Amino acid sequence: MCRRAAPLLPAMLALALAACVTPPYQPTPAPGAPAPVPTEPGAAPPQSPGAPATTPSMPTPAPAPRSYRLSAATSALVTQARSATAQGDFVAAAATLERALRIEPDNPLVWIEMGRTRLASGDALQAQNMGRRALALAAGAPREQSAAWQLIADALRALGRNVEAQEAARRAEALAVP
Amino acid sequence: MKARTKRILRRSAIGVAALAAAAALAFTVAFIHYDREVARQFEGRRWTLPAKVYAAPLELYVGLPFSPDDLLAELERLRYRETPELSRPGSYRRRRGRFEIAVRAARFADEERAAQIIAVTIERGAITGLRAADGAAIPVFRLDPLLIGSIFPIHGEDRIVLTPDEVPPLLPAAIKAVEDRKFATHHGVDLEAIARAMWVNLRAGRVEQGGSTLTQQLVKSYFLDGRRTLARKLEEAMMALALEARYDKRDLMTAYINEIYLGQQGDRAIHGFGLASQFWFAKPLDELDLPELALLVAIVRGPPYYDPRRYPDRARKRRDLVLRLLAQQKIVDTGAAAAAMRAPLGIAARPSGGYFPAYLDFVRRTLRRDYKEADLTEAGLSVFTSFDPRAQLAAEQAVEGELARLDRTHPPPAGKAGLEGAAIVTLPQSGEVIAMVGGRNVNFDGLNRALASPRAIGSLVKPFVYLAAIESGRWNATSVLDDTPIEVPLARNKVWRPQNYSRNANGPVSMVRALSESLNLATVHLGLDAGLPKVAAMFTRFGLETAPAPLPSLLLGAVDLPPIDVAQLYNGLANGGFHVPLRAVRAVVNEHGERIGAYPVKIAPVAAPDAVYQVDRMLTYVIARGTGRAAAARLPRGLIVAGKTGSSSDLRDGWFAGFSGSHLAVVWIGYDDNRPTGVTGSSGSLIVWQKIMSALDTTSWQPPMPESLEDMAIDYASGLRVTTGCSQDEVIVAVPRGTPTPYMAGCAPPSGIADWLRGIIR
Repeated sequence: MCRRAAPLLPAMLALALAACVTPPYQPTPAPGAPAPVPTEPGAAPPQSPGAPATTPSMPTPAPAPRSYRLSAATSALVTQARSATAQGDFVAAAATLERALRIEPDNPLVWIEMGRTRLASGDALQAQNMGRRALALAAGAPREQSAAWQLIADALRALGRNVEAQEAARRAEALAVP
Repeated sequence: MKARTKRILRRSAIGVAALAAAAALAFTVAFIHYDREVARQFEGRRWTLPAKVYAAPLELYVGLPFSPDDLLAELERLRYRETPELSRPGSYRRRRGRFEIAVRAARFADEERAAQIIAVTIERGAITGLRAADGAAIPVFRLDPLLIGSIFPIHGEDRIVLTPDEVPPLLPAAIKAVEDRKFATHHGVDLEAIARAMWVNLRAGRVEQGGSTLTQQLVKSYFLDGRRTLARKLEEAMMALALEARYDKRDLMTAYINEIYLGQQGDRAIHGFGLASQFWFAKPLDELDLPELALLVAIVRGPPYYDPRRYPDRARKRRDLVLRLLAQQKIVDTGAAAAAMRAPLGIAARPSGGYFPAYLDFVRRTLRRDYKEADLTEAGLSVFTSFDPRAQLAAEQAVEGELARLDRTHPPPAGKAGLEGAAIVTLPQSGEVIAMVGGRNVNFDGLNRALASPRAIGSLVKPFVYLAAIESGRWNATSVLDDTPIEVPLARNKVWRPQNYSRNANGPVSMVRALSESLNLATVHLGLDAGLPKVAAMFTRFGLETAPAPLPSLLLGAVDLPPIDVAQLYNGLANGGFHVPLRAVRAVVNEHGERIGAYPVKIAPVAAPDAVYQVDRMLTYVIARGTGRAAAARLPRGLIVAGKTGSSSDLRDGWFAGFSGSHLAVVWIGYDDNRPTGVTGSSGSLIVWQKIMSALDTTSWQPPMPESLEDMAIDYASGLRVTTGCSQDEVIVAVPRGTPTPYMAGCAPPSGIADWLRGIIR
């Protein structure tokens, strides 16, 4: 795939390598939205330009796994929604979670919570779809991916699709952060 | 003689007695008739209560990016007033970034909230503190939902009904003082007032004064049409007497306050002081001060004649007359009346409870699917929507401003209507429509182009052609497309020869360039190769009811869609390949506060997230360097957005559809009669779109990249892979991991590394 190799100085090589693996669209937190918090506080961001890579010993430095938490506002709304769910008022629970969704539309945890409420109300199809939305938003965040797969597994089981449910549960387990 | 006289007298007496008896009988019969009539109608009929439509309440929470000016604008919109002592709900006080707000009681879809005092602290552009009166932290708090309109019957009465304790005591006193001084004592008809009015009118030679009591006015408004015949007057008097006999004065006054006509807006008749207060002052009746209340009482005499928006001088004169009457009758003291006379009219620039006709039209269409017309116009429902007044005003100003500018640069021929426009703004993740403009005259309740004007979408179709191609796995952003002339055989021996907008063919081009620069030839080659049925199927997958015919011209957008359908299609792109039906209504609550309808978010995966991500990423280059680049410099610095221009043949339609991380906006500009505009999508519509996006507090498009993809730096023109800094013209696209892409000559890493890379990429 490489047509012609050109001689380059090691420093430039470092830059080149960094560029090859640097995603320029690293999600940064929206103002007001909670920052995805790296689970490993020491993990260097992948695009740190100072990290020399003179030897190709670390070919594809995997980006530090991301993780999500709920802001104080969404967290309060989730609590309120759960108490509505406990009283069987799924409509109110869903409405309250949509308030949370408007505050943090990209947080997979909100979608997982909405999916859980749908599942409790008997709408397993929507629960599954919300699980898939959460999964897409949780790219690079294994803990949330695991929770999303778990929701998908439960939804599929409720739909009677047991083989797919087992496969989803297996993925959930594989991604689970100990 | 005597006997004769006596006989005559006796006969006369008998006659008079008989006549009197007959009259009394007739009166009694009539009275019984009208009494029944009045009872039946007055009691059987409730006021028809048009459904009230509310905007989304503003959610305050710690961390919300918000300036003191934002909060002030919101308080102004809700007509809160600044007072030093926080005396009543609907007021606030401020010390720099710290606000104390006496919030009104409000009903939401999911809860009823009592009036209370909250403290909001804003520092460095964000809310840093949100506390209750007792100092307890509040995690999240909704301000009042703004009333944005009603669903009233065509040519219908709109009103808000108040209970007696919602009416400030000054109002009935003022109404009596001005309209019917003897209200407390008469029995429905005031003969002295009638005589006085007749005398005044005779002397003036025209009708200057009415002698009608409040009860008669009520009867006229309630039961009768506007004809002024003697029979009507008698009927009116009978009914007034019947009403008075049956009901106490307090009930009649309440009825009057809720019934009387106080304004007009197109087909919408404003009835009752409750709605009139919102209509003229945009705040609840119990928050009006003396001059405002006096103005409402002044308007009673003739709402079109004393319209304070159109005839402020006339309205002011009559208001001051009312104030003098109130002072004369010692209802207010002279000093207060004099001070009130110096006050400005205080009319709200724009009536609350209107007027966002395009958005309300969308709400109505949604509700008509689920409710009977009578329920909507009569049953007193409350409709909670996702309407965002800030986004709406931004969209209105952007459309109005740009169309006015285009009228100067592209003046329409004499006698022809000017350019029209439409705009829709959504929250892609939840599918909520937050703003809608249906035409350049945003207050005109006419053709709603956002919903009802299907127009050729032109190049807006292209992202779906590229999505179909990428989904097939045979193409990616680095693929080289063939931008060369093509002849497509059609039915009946015809041949289609599409052309690029520039009329040039560019030869081999990268996919990202072909999409960014909207190259027609490359797209037609690609779409034919990927398969027309696959492209056509995208329309139904992304949520439209019907797929267009899979004809070659579809590849260049020869399909007519209204802006709302375009918004639905692009919402799926903005939402990572997930379809969410667009909606305006969140919930419907009946007049007892019970939730009777809910419209929760529904979501469905409709396209592979990684394929959509690749397309979206390419669409960011439309703005960064393609047909949308005129917007790049004017957008907030560093804001990453994705979008696509669209122009139909001969520039009959100019479109722009695009999204940030948290908003999607679709803009259309064209003539209603479909003649060419001379304006491309990248001038008019793009500018409107950029202005809307800049006015919203929006975030960059930067969702996490699917794990199956990786970034790749390529040369924009050729699609060949480069190392950073090597090409003058480098773009970074997303491609499936391990996509084999040759390096550009002179732009590869050294061979050792290249071999090693080849090894790990496989």
